Amino acid sequence: MDEAETSNIFYVPTPSLPSITPPDSYDRFRSQSVPLIIDNGSSNLRFGFSTSASPQSSPNVIAKYKERKFNQSLLLFGDAIDTESGAKSQGKTPWEGDVLLNFDAMEHALDYAFVRLGIDAEGIDHPVLMTERLCSPLHSRALTSELMFEQYSVPSLTYCVDSVMSFYHNNKPISGSTFSADGLVVSFNTASTSVIPILNGKGVLSHAKRIPWGTQQSTEYLLKLIQLKYSSFPTRVTSVQASWMLHNFCSFATDYPAVLRSLKIPVNMRAAERIIQFPFAIPVIEEKTEEELTRIAEKRKEQGKKLQELAAKSRMEKLAKKENDLRYLTDLKEGKSENKREWMHVLQVEGFDDDAALDETIRKLEVDVKRARKKDLDGQDDVIEEPSFPLIDVPDADLDEEGIKEKKKQKLMKAGFDARARARREKEKEREEKEAEERREEGERENNFDDWAARLRREQETIMNKIKERGRRKAALSDRKSAAAQARMKNIASLAADERVSKKKRKAGAEDMFGADDEDWQIYRKLNAAAVSSDEEDEFNQLRIIESKLLMYDPTFTAQHTHASITSQRSALISAFRPQYEEGDIEGSARIHLNTERWRVCETYFSPGMAGVDSAGLGEVLQSILARFTEAEKARLVKNVFITGGPSQFPGLQERLYGTLRPILPPEMHLGDIVRAADPSLDAWKGMASFANTDEFHQVGVTAEEYQEWGAERIKRWWGGNCNSAV
Amino acid sequence: MPPKGTTRKKAANDGSTTHTPTLSEQLSYLHSPRPFKNPNYTKNTNRRTKNLKTVLGQEREKERVERERRRQERDSQAMDIDEVKKELVEVNEEISTYLSIEAPPSVLPQRHYCDITGLEAPYTDPRTGLRYHDKSVYELIKNLSPSAAKDYLAARGVNPVVR
Repeated sequence: MDEAETSNIFYVPTPSLPSITPPDSYDRFRSQSVPLIIDNGSSNLRFGFSTSASPQSSPNVIAKYKERKFNQSLLLFGDAIDTESGAKSQGKTPWEGDVLLNFDAMEHALDYAFVRLGIDAEGIDHPVLMTERLCSPLHSRALTSELMFEQYSVPSLTYCVDSVMSFYHNNKPISGSTFSADGLVVSFNTASTSVIPILNGKGVLSHAKRIPWGTQQSTEYLLKLIQLKYSSFPTRVTSVQASWMLHNFCSFATDYPAVLRSLKIPVNMRAAERIIQFPFAIPVIEEKTEEELTRIAEKRKEQGKKLQELAAKSRMEKLAKKENDLRYLTDLKEGKSENKREWMHVLQVEGFDDDAALDETIRKLEVDVKRARKKDLDGQDDVIEEPSFPLIDVPDADLDEEGIKEKKKQKLMKAGFDARARARREKEKEREEKEAEERREEGERENNFDDWAARLRREQETIMNKIKERGRRKAALSDRKSAAAQARMKNIASLAADERVSKKKRKAGAEDMFGADDEDWQIYRKLNAAAVSSDEEDEFNQLRIIESKLLMYDPTFTAQHTHASITSQRSALISAFRPQYEEGDIEGSARIHLNTERWRVCETYFSPGMAGVDSAGLGEVLQSILARFTEAEKARLVKNVFITGGPSQFPGLQERLYGTLRPILPPEMHLGDIVRAADPSLDAWKGMASFANTDEFHQVGVTAEEYQEWGAERIKRWWGGNCNSAV
Repeated sequence: MPPKGTTRKKAANDGSTTHTPTLSEQLSYLHSPRPFKNPNYTKNTNRRTKNLKTVLGQEREKERVERERRRQERDSQAMDIDEVKKELVEVNEEISTYLSIEAPPSVLPQRHYCDITGLEAPYTDPRTGLRYHDKSVYELIKNLSPSAAKDYLAARGVNPVVR
């Protein structure tokens, strides 16, 4: 099993620090109006001159951070934020989903771009081609235009839609002719997915649709799923790690229900899982060496001995004191003078009431001393000698008052002594009985093993059934509407009713006779559902005894048959879904198993309802868009289905789209293969660059004068741009 | 005035020279000169960055106003009633804003997937509302705490009101 798993285990990558590269040289571009291309993406900012082969690309995040160590304020962009751990929390992006909102951040991002390009002239003297979102809100466009024209003094600014440009790049017309391809562009972006039909080289933007589900939402969904599945995971899973997992392990299922049906079987689920190993820390167990252990043991022994010596000494002291007292008192007794009053006085000084008390004390002391002596000598309790009760047999009439008192005392003592002796005898009898029983059982076991085993198993089953019944009864009581709960309420009501006795009986003079019969009180046991009755504990004890006997002697009864393991058994499915590692397995508990999540997350593109987003999925949107065109146009559209954008690199996407489109089209219509952009992330920029080098580019931009006249929101209508507020 | 013809040096570490610049300081471009910025342009610093809700609300307003305006324009220009209708249709088609592009809610019947495992879920637990795949998953659900059950439901987008 280990070999198969090691190929499945992947380690979370550690982030690497960015390297420093000097900014570009500006010399090549100075005083030439080479178009400047900026692909302003929600996740990455790509910028460069149109004559460059590929853009510089960096995550579109700004962080203004004041470093604590040297008290420096820093302005970091993109990857550089990884160098400062505190800067990550301060990161701001200009985009919020699909809408450009934060213009401070936008300004800083553009500053970075121009600094990297090495621009040192006053003002940007290049026509700029920038991307904006499909039908971007006018507010965003207005502020961007304002920034570009007023802050950076660009001569002209053109907006375009990135996916259309990517499509252009992959379906480039022969040089000289105008762009007139047809196709259906499915663009996967960070916070949305859009479908744009293109006819005759012009985007029919009124029929385009945007689904508010993109990489950002998918990553959040995956993170949520992992957090739900591993609620007690030792380390925190960050969204960066979640997006790494999304990119590497998730794919589209061509037929999602079929995939689910196969995963239902635990074996398949196990085979399809990917194990992600998170870093973990092995706690250092201080292993004391052998010497240390022996040293500690010796120390403890010494301490014990010292204590024992102390105890012995104190005992000796007490004994000596008692002996002294005894001697003193006996001397006193012997030196008793004839004068009674003097004797009484002496006694009272000592604290005794009369002669008898003195004698008592002396006797007690003697016994104590003797016992202590004996203990010291041989450390055993001496045999309880039967004390003598001489006065009991003597009839009352013969004794005087004192004697009667003595007799009563002695009777009590004898009764106590007899009771104790009886108890002792009973205990011994019980022990003998138990031994006899055990011997019998052993005999039975040896002679007739099967019967004995069968008998014990039956007992175990009955006890387990009783426990289950009890559990079921408890569950039924907790449910308000169950029959048991309603019966209980009826009982309570009848107990509390004022009319407990029927009218006839009351007339006859009978009163409420509840409690006369002992069985009546049993009703309170039933009512009090919360009490854990002692019966349960007895049952568990019995069960344990039986199981231990069976485990010892019956080879076929294993630990799996015990009650404990049966109740805590987890089904094979759950263990395949979320394997449990043992308590001490630190490496195992820092693992995440991805099985159903691999397809579940990508499936949300086709039904966002799974994740709570109330929107049509990709398949439905495609269907509704195609429905608005005529048959001829539809045919032209589906001949060339084009997918672009970073997330289009998920495996399985093309097959899935083909499988979604094929059923909704008439069978004779030719559905071309789904084409993916040659370079999904950079093709938009490349398309823009190649477009900027054509003549058409200069006709579609908004110049500075036009900006002054129209304001920031108007743009010129052309095939690659938006058409809201367009001239 | 920055000298022309020289390549821009890296963002220099100005000020303190008591320590070698760290990596992050070298990457910071806070102090790099930006001559391309127009010093005369003062950004309206009082303007707050509007949040998404206000921006979308503005868009909606603008769209409504625009539609009204166009309708009135067509009304005043059109002679024929049929022409008006056709042009209205055209007008409505042409206006495409950020909000109109948004995909409509789904009309297909929803498939039930298990909230815990992700497999198909024919059953629903009446107490918590979670969908589950089979009885072993149900055992798991029975032992969930109410907050955990609520988290599962929130992942699906169902936010139960206080029960």
